[in-house]
Amino acid sequence: MPDTNHFPAESEVSRRGFLELTFGWLAGIFAVCASAVGTVRFLVPNVLFEPSLLFKAGKATDYPDGSVTFMEEERVFLVRQGNTFRCLSAICTHLGCTVDRADHGYHCPCHGSVFDDQGNVKSGPAPRPLEWFLVTLSKDSRLLVDKNQRVNPDKYLVL
Amino acid sequence: MKAPPLKKIWQWFERTRVGRSIFRVGLPQSNLERAQAMVSSFLLHIQPAKVNRHSLRASYSFGLGLISLYLFLILIVTGVLLMFYYVPSTEQAYNNMKDLQFVVSVGLVMRNMHRWAAHLMVIFVLLHMCRVFYTGAYKRPREFNWVLGVGLFLLTLSLSFTGYLLPWDQLAFWAITVGTNIAAYAPYIGPKLKYLMLGGNVVGQEALIRFYALHVIVLPAVAGFMIAVHLWRVRKDGGLSRPDEPGDTIQQIELGKLPTNKTYGLMELARGMTPQVGRNPADEVFAWPHLVFRELLLFLLVVAMVLFLGIFWNAPLEQLANPVHPPNPAKAPWYFLGLQELVSYSAFWGGVVVPGVLVMALLVLPYMDRDRKGVGRWFPRERVVANTIFTVCLVIAIVLTTIGSLFRGPNWSWQEPWKRPPTVTEGR
Amino acid sequence: MTDGSVRKLYVWFTVLGLLVGSLVVLGYFRDENRDWKDYQHKFIQEEIRRASTAQQRALAERIPLQIRQILLPDLNRVDRCTTCHLAVDDPSYGGYPNPLAYHPLHEQHPFERFGCTVCHRGQGRATTSVDAHGNVPHWDEPMLPVRYIQASCGKCHEAADNPAAPELVRGQQVFENSGCRGCHKLSGIGGVIGPELDKVGAHRSPDWLTKHFLAPASVTPGSAMPPQKFAEQDLESITLFMLSQTGETAPGYYASMRVIPSVGQGQRLFQQKGCIGCHSVAGKGGTVGPALDDVGLRRSTEWMVQHFREPQAVSPGTVMPQFSFTEGEARALTDFLVHLREQNVASNLPSLMSPVERGREVYRKYGCAGCHGADGKGGVPNPNAKTAELVPDLIRVAEGYTNDELRDRILKGQREITALDPKRPLPPLYMPGWGGVIRDAEIDDLVAYLISLKPAGEEPGF
Repeated sequence: MPDTNHFPAESEVSRRGFLELTFGWLAGIFAVCASAVGTVRFLVPNVLFEPSLLFKAGKATDYPDGSVTFMEEERVFLVRQGNTFRCLSAICTHLGCTVDRADHGYHCPCHGSVFDDQGNVKSGPAPRPLEWFLVTLSKDSRLLVDKNQRVNPDKYLVL
Repeated sequence: MKAPPLKKIWQWFERTRVGRSIFRVGLPQSNLERAQAMVSSFLLHIQPAKVNRHSLRASYSFGLGLISLYLFLILIVTGVLLMFYYVPSTEQAYNNMKDLQFVVSVGLVMRNMHRWAAHLMVIFVLLHMCRVFYTGAYKRPREFNWVLGVGLFLLTLSLSFTGYLLPWDQLAFWAITVGTNIAAYAPYIGPKLKYLMLGGNVVGQEALIRFYALHVIVLPAVAGFMIAVHLWRVRKDGGLSRPDEPGDTIQQIELGKLPTNKTYGLMELARGMTPQVGRNPADEVFAWPHLVFRELLLFLLVVAMVLFLGIFWNAPLEQLANPVHPPNPAKAPWYFLGLQELVSYSAFWGGVVVPGVLVMALLVLPYMDRDRKGVGRWFPRERVVANTIFTVCLVIAIVLTTIGSLFRGPNWSWQEPWKRPPTVTEGR
Repeated sequence: MTDGSVRKLYVWFTVLGLLVGSLVVLGYFRDENRDWKDYQHKFIQEEIRRASTAQQRALAERIPLQIRQILLPDLNRVDRCTTCHLAVDDPSYGGYPNPLAYHPLHEQHPFERFGCTVCHRGQGRATTSVDAHGNVPHWDEPMLPVRYIQASCGKCHEAADNPAAPELVRGQQVFENSGCRGCHKLSGIGGVIGPELDKVGAHRSPDWLTKHFLAPASVTPGSAMPPQKFAEQDLESITLFMLSQTGETAPGYYASMRVIPSVGQGQRLFQQKGCIGCHSVAGKGGTVGPALDDVGLRRSTEWMVQHFREPQAVSPGTVMPQFSFTEGEARALTDFLVHLREQNVASNLPSLMSPVERGREVYRKYGCAGCHGADGKGGVPNPNAKTAELVPDLIRVAEGYTNDELRDRILKGQREITALDPKRPLPPLYMPGWGGVIRDAEIDDLVAYLISLKPAGEEPGF
């Protein structure tokens, strides 16, 4: 019976043994990596159960001239001036609270940041102005807001 | 021929400071290191440094206990991953199952794997129990380990049962309704037990959250602990049972008289039954690599099997649970169908007495069977009587389960499965 | 370091490691290879083809491949139909074949608030076409054939006088006129011989329903229901109406327009709420409030709607209670009052009818015709019943019963029906007791009607 407790010295490893060792470990590593990739992919969500970043804000006629309408779920303000439509983020750039509409401009109740009508910071700890989002017209004539796309304050939808 | 490059890279890493701080013993190069690797590693030290060559034989144990353990580990991993998408609420659970099927990447495969691993675990734990019985491996000194094993078997059934409810579909709802009602047939404690299990009188939100808590944390923790003790006992009772045992391993060690051929740490010198190293050196091999590599291979095999089933065979999901529309017949999970068949003959005798007696018989078995004849061999002549009784009981259980699953149609009437009319969704 | 047996182990490592890795890769790629990606590719190609400017083209090329869904938490639904049906809101895709076809927009039912499955049924959470269309095992709501789509209107809206769902209205009329309520309860009113119909649309397919009407025993063995003789169009309409009875309740926002304003709805509300208790029409009714005959001339519609919403606001000091009408109800009532003078609408009010006329309405309302035939003429089979194997007609009931006996019979019913041949099974149809279901005043009117059924000119007695 071969003495399975006697292992040959390193230099005695044959070529076949070399290949088997390497391939064996490589195959094992392959299996582990594939499983890890599969597991991570499993955990990456394909759909979100949150309000969509691309949404329809109703018809243009729903918004009176000169109005600033707060949309609760999407946390934006829909601003209409004459025939121009713009969409301002209601999320304070300081630490993420929802700002309130003030008489002129906006005010954040959490730490007191104050923004003007253009979203620029007038006072308070906010580091950047409020963000403006792209507003276009959907194929079925609804206002289409895309929170994925930030625009300059001077870019708006004209109807 | 130089050593393979992979190995060189690894050996270089082992010698760095970081490597040395993590791995106290590197990849073993000498026999001493092979022994040290087992003893000083957290993951490996529940196994001995050397094992008897007989224990490695697949034709002896078929690795059934290991397979059961691996299935348990696979269930934990897939189960935890599924927890990222499942909410145990009657409003959401079913929707989450549909989302896993349609929207989550490899969600369907993951769920399938979990379900088939669960069914396989019940089967393999049972097979493992049969192996242990047929090889007389429950006899002294392994009686308590057998008791632990019976406990683990019941835990496996409980884990499967609690998990069965979670999809909250018709299959789940009615299986648990039937199952808890069978439990309620026990005298005095039955209805109270059902009330405690369900957190009320009906299978509803309370039952769902209780079953979830049991399934996800309580039962796995208890099972994990018991598995640890079970493996510990395997070690302490002298490893896997084998023939020619009396004499060479069952030897009490007296602390005053320490053997001179031991080179390990204190843990090896405690009182008890331990393998005697150096007595039959020809029979013993180093656990690294012989045992450990085989265990790893078996693990890969089990993973491959579960993956294959998960990819090609979908677990069932019926309509949303609806208390108003019971299916006819309403069946418990398959491993309880033998029990349900018995209950259909007599609720008390079939549902309470027979299973109760069977479990008690299993538990006291090793204490009744005193002699040590026939340990370590399959179907030895000396154990004809015991093996026959066991086999008869096993066959009856299988037959009853088969009847319950395949031969019972609406109203629990006899129905041959080849004559069953094609399933028409009720009245559409 | 290796020797014979351990080397073999490494071979096995290779094999099994490759096997596990390959299975993972296989499972992963099978999963990534979804049908909806093909449909989205086709859509993107089409968009690129149609792009007339470079900017449009760039936009089209940037369309991401992803699952699209409409979240409807109030309805506990998620509709992923738009994953493949990508152009439902783009009129320029009108006429394209599905799944790229345009879906005409319904002003009041935007996709973002209603999704798709509320009307079309099917399995909204699915992302493969077979599963999403719902004709799969263990899914009880397959998509409705388009010709039955108006059944879904009935989920939220009351059927009567729904101008946007004429098929549904027709179906309800067929139902009321065929006397189904004689054996089946719907919304709590009806007989007890057959099952209640409030949820029948939730778990019966259109095929099952039509078969059930034409030959009940073929789908429900041992059914007591006599086969119905419906004309083709009536059969479709009543099937549609049955499909609309799903027992689903529309939560909050969706229930607010349950009543679609129309004269008919207004009249029903007028009767239900008992306005005649305080107001009079054509001289009959209460005198607490003003007569309503020409209120349409005296007040504007806006005033009337506001008056229904909040009487105190437009009529300070009024004793008219706050009825908490929904917007739809207020407008329906206003519609009714405005048209009160026109089209002799008032003549349909019960308070203005004769007892016999009212009794005819009661006969229709409770479905007596289902067993006793239209206008009490009989002809409905009742196998093995001693009365010529038919449910008896009611034409000459005036001769066999006094008013009190008739009243008694209606209230108590007759459970035991004498069999013609004792060896055959008992007759399946019997007369249920209507006490507690038909109101007292209605019974008097019904008796008056039944007595009046005797053909004129006949000699009394027989």
